[in-house]
Order: sequence, then structure tokens, then C-alpha cells
Amino acid sequence: MPRSNATAGIGGADTRPPLAIGIALSRLLPKTSEAGLKTAHFSKPGLAAALLAPQLLILLFFFFIPSYKALSLAFVQVDPFGAREIFVGFANFAQLLGSPDYRQSVFFTLWFTVIQAVVTIALALLFAFATDFVIRGRGLYKSVILMPYAIAPVISGVLWAFLFNPAVGPLAQFIQSLGIPWDPNRRPFDAQLLVIVASVWKHICYDYIFLVAALLAVPQSLLEAAKLDGARPVRRFFTISLPLVTPTIFFLMVMNVVYGLFETFGIIDAVTRGGPAGATNTLVYKVYQDGFVQLNLGSSAAQSVILMIIAILFTVLQFRALERRVNYQV
Amino acid sequence: MTIDFGIRNAPRKFAKTLAAGIALGMLALPGAAAAQERVKVEWWHALGGRLGEVVEKLVTDFNGSQDQYEVVAVHKGNYEENMAAMVAAYRVGQQPTIIQAAERGFMTMLNSGAVVPVPTLMEEQGHDVDWNDFIAPVSGFFLVDGVPAALPFNSSTPIFWYNRDMFKEAGFDAPGETWQEVEKQLYAIKEQGVSQCSMALANDFFWSLIENYAALHDQPYGTLANGFDGLGTEFVFNKSPLVVGQLERLSKWMDDDVLQIAGQGLSPEQLFTSGTCATYVASTAAHAGIGSGAQFDWSATFLPHEEGVEPKNSTIGGGALWVLQGKSDEEYAGAAAFIDFVASPETQVWWSKQTGYVPVTTTAYDALKSEGYFKENPTREIAILQLSRGEPTENSRGFRFGNHNQSMQLLVEEIQGVWTGQKTPQEALDNAARRGNEILRQYERLHASQ
Repeated sequence: MPRSNATAGIGGADTRPPLAIGIALSRLLPKTSEAGLKTAHFSKPGLAAALLAPQLLILLFFFFIPSYKALSLAFVQVDPFGAREIFVGFANFAQLLGSPDYRQSVFFTLWFTVIQAVVTIALALLFAFATDFVIRGRGLYKSVILMPYAIAPVISGVLWAFLFNPAVGPLAQFIQSLGIPWDPNRRPFDAQLLVIVASVWKHICYDYIFLVAALLAVPQSLLEAAKLDGARPVRRFFTISLPLVTPTIFFLMVMNVVYGLFETFGIIDAVTRGGPAGATNTLVYKVYQDGFVQLNLGSSAAQSVILMIIAILFTVLQFRALERRVNYQV
Repeated sequence: MTIDFGIRNAPRKFAKTLAAGIALGMLALPGAAAAQERVKVEWWHALGGRLGEVVEKLVTDFNGSQDQYEVVAVHKGNYEENMAAMVAAYRVGQQPTIIQAAERGFMTMLNSGAVVPVPTLMEEQGHDVDWNDFIAPVSGFFLVDGVPAALPFNSSTPIFWYNRDMFKEAGFDAPGETWQEVEKQLYAIKEQGVSQCSMALANDFFWSLIENYAALHDQPYGTLANGFDGLGTEFVFNKSPLVVGQLERLSKWMDDDVLQIAGQGLSPEQLFTSGTCATYVASTAAHAGIGSGAQFDWSATFLPHEEGVEPKNSTIGGGALWVLQGKSDEEYAGAAAFIDFVASPETQVWWSKQTGYVPVTTTAYDALKSEGYFKENPTREIAILQLSRGEPTENSRGFRFGNHNQSMQLLVEEIQGVWTGQKTPQEALDNAARRGNEILRQYERLHASQ
């Protein structure tokens, strides 16, 4: 009680002690700062279960059962037709971790995912911020940014591959005419750059939609107050808008990482096929190549288990590291 | 063998199937009973583009030739995609009756325990097939204990395609017979400004320029007669100075911009047929595409060989028709009838003319010869002459490596490391052999108990 007395004393409002205690506690214990969002719950558990059921069923069929299958395959070597199977323990994992090619793939996947996620968010933020300043043709501006989302990854991948093909691609020839060597077939870095650019281009629109909506939700009163105080647009953006849209950015970070890890498959398949010399072979693409093209199911299953572990770690890490800085209350 | 890296024409095909379905439905109305009795036999194949159209014609002809069976051909993508789709379907009992598998998948199919050997099927269904009629280089590859395990369907071998206009412009009548002469010509074409690209690198160059190079020069690719004598085979292509030299040569050409990679979004055959690149080493089956696409005086010749070496035969590539287990007797009867139709001399002659694949039976070959077809189209005979050149040795008979598809992908990945300058040809081949041997050992362990 001495604590509450003290706060009450400071607040000087004897008529509202419970609220004062609440505020004091929330300041002292950071965890309860999100109390408003996280403590909401259903009073009838049956309804909650019914509402959750469809999602849980989807998870069961598309996550838990496949995960179980992958786990069971990861420890065997198996003939593709399923006729022969030998238990090999951790041999599939040992072989992967001992292989320089696999380590190269892990390394590339990690930096590809991080760079892709950061660049996508940065550009989407820039475009979203600029939306307010586009007066004429704002509809057109938005449609141009949103358009890539409507194009199938394989189609856009083929277009990128063609445009930057050193033999026939107009953009490749433009780059070469500037005296810059460009050949994604023979220069690994060019291929990696191309894959990153294509993935970012494909995903900007997704981030853009969320960020435009988030920026619209920033209270006008705050922005106007800052304006009256003489803050210029960029300053207003960094000191008011940006902190207020951090929850969205955090969410998009997670989504971008998931996108980079898993959904860039179509683009890589069309743009580089993992080459040259495995330079753009991401973990997911390797799972596909080894499992579905080369029919090496044991190794492919082991890879997908490792991938799953990486994805879980990444997400946990992000929640831990980033969520603390996220302000959920407006 | 051709690898189809392009996008599949799925929507168009779907529209076609739909249209065909509607048309069939309308036709079937009056005589519905007769139409319903047809037994459907599913066949998954890997031929797209111009070759795919020929396949559709083949199936239509078969369906029109009798009224008991209806073969339904489904294009599942390239050989690998076709195989993967079939394996997945087989595991849940949804497999087609007939599957076209590439020569590289021979061991996988043979040891799968999932196939009905074609000779057994033909015998059970009362078809008399003269297996001795199949030409030696083709049957030699497919024979197991004296009879072929599958029906050789689209058999090919790589040949040397060239743009005659460009060769004339550079002052040559025809490509030289040896790699040394060819090298001089390719450099001359580049230096004289006739073409910026002297040779387009085929997507299946590992087959045309490495594996067939080893066979042609009688170099062992693997031990135990390239795997014919047992699962204990090991890759030794990295120990052949000739094979290493070949890769060194290709690497040098690449660095000098004489040899060009098409890359994604473009097929190397287009680089040749559009008149960009002067030469192209690829399957004889490119006749279908080059014949209909090239707007210049094209020709083809035998694969070059090293100076002072008597070249052996090249090896076959392409696909065979395998029959899968677990189907009904009517479906097997239909499959046998279809295989009989495909193997008939008439079909073989027509198929070979349409596609450029070699006729697989002596009867069909003789028929083409006697009608003077090769006099009019000399490039059509190159493949078969090259395949049957000399007496095959253990090194030129072909390749039987378990999971050869995997070791091939590794070889390509390692060779790409040479193109990018990260590895020397010797390092790349050493790596490819070492990684390939791991795959062979894995395969041996899994199949040792047979």
C-alpha cells in the first residue's frame, strides 16, 4: 500500500485511487502496457472453440499433417515409389550440414530474405508517404504501384528474365551500353541482384496497401498541431507518423520474411532456376529441386524440417526483438 | 533428348481439351452406347511445343484406327516434372497406364517395382513383337536379360547443327570434322564479324557435349562398364584428360564470347533458329523446331571429335514408354494395342519424319531408305549413322547410373561454377564426380537387397 499512497499523494486525486494505481502499475511494469488489447477474452469457451475450429482444421491438414510427414521422411532414405525405405537416423541432416552447397544456400537465403524485407518496406514507406503529395493522378499512381500484385509470380519472373537476358533483353543491353558488365548467367552477383529486385518489385504493393491504410489512420490533429509548430513534412513523418505505424511495420516485417523465405519460389524458378552454380538457390527452391525434380525425398524432407526450424526461430526472434519497440496504443 | 524449360501452354491445351470434349460429347449423343464402351488409357508424356502437336496427332490417329480404346495423352511438363507427377500419383494409386520416361530415368523405372515389362505385357495381350527388329544402338540401351524393359519411343542423339549461310560468309563449305578445325572456324566466324555468337549452348549440353563426348572418344564415364555391370559403379569422368580438356575448351570459348548461354526466358534453340548463333550442338529431334522455324540455309553434321581419334558411336537419349502396375486388364489391353501401333513400321516412319527422332526398327529405317527419304533429307540420317558407327564399347554403349538425374543436376551446377569463374574445369569435374558418387552409393544401399 505505501506505493499507492504515494501515487495518490502525487496525483492529489483521492476520489480516483483505482485508476491512479492502474496507471502507476502500468508504468512500473512494462508488460501490462498492452493490457487493453491482450486481456480481451470470451466468457463462453464453447463459442471461442467453434470460432477457432475452421482455422485449426486448416492448420491440421495443411500444417500439422504435412509436418508430421516431413518429420517421418527426414530420417529415412526412400525409393520414390515408396517400395523401399531404410532408416538412417540423422544421416540426412549430417549430410546437409556437412555440404558446402547447403551452407551456401543457407547463407544466401538469410541475406536475401533480410535485404528483400528491408528494401521492400523502405520503398513501400516512401511510396506510401508520397501518396499524400501526389495530387494529380493519385488513382493512377496507386494503380501503378498495385499492379505487380495482380501478375502471377511465374509470369513476372519470365518477364524479368527476358528483360535482363544478356543476349536479347533490352534492359540488359541498356546496362551494357553504359559500360557496366551484366550477365546473370555467369556472374552470380548479377543473378542475386536480379532475383532481389524482382522479389522486391513483386512485394512492394503488398506493403504499400498496409502502409497507406496505416498512415491514413494517423490522427490528423497530431499532424496539424505539428504543422502549426512549424514541422516540415519529413520531420512530421519521422516524429509522428512513423512511430504510430510501427505495429504495421512490424507486421509487414514478419510477412516479408515469410515471403522471402517461402514465396519467392516462383520468381527464382523463372528468373534463375537457382543458378548460376547455385548462387540463387534458396532453401525453399532447394527443397523443391531435391524433392520434386530429383526425387531425393529423404534429403528434401530433412531440408524442409530445417527450414521450418529457421522460420520459427526467425519469427520468435522478431517478436522478441521488435515487439518491445512497437507502440500498440494510439 | 530435349529439355523443355519453357512455360507450358496449359490454358491453350485446356481450351483445346474442352473443345474436343464438347465436340466428342455432341458426336456421342446418337451413338452414346458405342462411345461409352471405349476403354480410356491414360498416357503422360513430356513433349511440348511442336513435338507435343505431333504427339496429339499420333494419339488422334490411334483413336481413329480402332473403336475399343481411347488413349488420353496428358502433357505433364518436361521429363522431370512428368516423372515427379507420376511418382506422386503412383503413391496414391492414381497413376496413368503408360508413362514416358527419359533415358536418364531408366534405372529408377527399372528398379521401381512399379512397372510391367513391356515384352511381358505384349505377350499376355497376344501381340507378337519382333524385338530383334529394333536397331542395335537403341535396343542395346534398353535390353535387360535379352529383352527391352520398355518400348523405345522417341530416341535421339546429339548432332552438330550449323547455319550454312554464316559458314559460307566466313569462307567455309562445312564445319570441320575435328574439334580443332571447328574451333578455328568458330573463332573465324566471330572475328570476321559474321556473327557475334558462334555457338549456342544447349540446355542439355551435359548430354551432348560431355556424356556423348566421353562415349565418342571411348572414355569411361563410370566404372563397371558405365554401370551396366552393377550398382557398385563409380564416376570416373574426372580422370579422363580428354573430358577435362573438353570442358577447358568450352570454358575458353565461353570466356571469349564464342559460346553463349541463352539463360532463362529464352531457349538456346531460338538463338540458333533466329539466326543469332551460327552453330548449336543438340538432339536430332530439333529437326521439328529448326525445320519449321529457321529462315536460312541450315544443315547438320556429325559431332566433331579430337584430332587423330577414331570416333565411336554416340549414345541415345530421349524417352521410352513404360507401363505401370495396378491397372485393369482392359486398360492393359488398350496399352498393348497402343504400343503395337507405335512400334508399327508405318507409325515409326511417320513419327520419324515428323519429329526428327530416329526410326527405332530396322523395318522402318529400311522403308525410309527405300523411298529415298534420306537422299532428299540427308540430315535425317546423321543420327542413325552416328549411333551405329563402329562396334560399341563398354564406354559407348550408354549409361546406367542410379538416380542419374540427380548426379546430372550436380554436374550442371558444378560446370556452372566453371562458367562463373569460381572453379577450374578439373575442380568442377572432381566435385561433380565426388558428389555423384555419394548419390550412387546411396542408391546402391537402397537397392542392394534386390
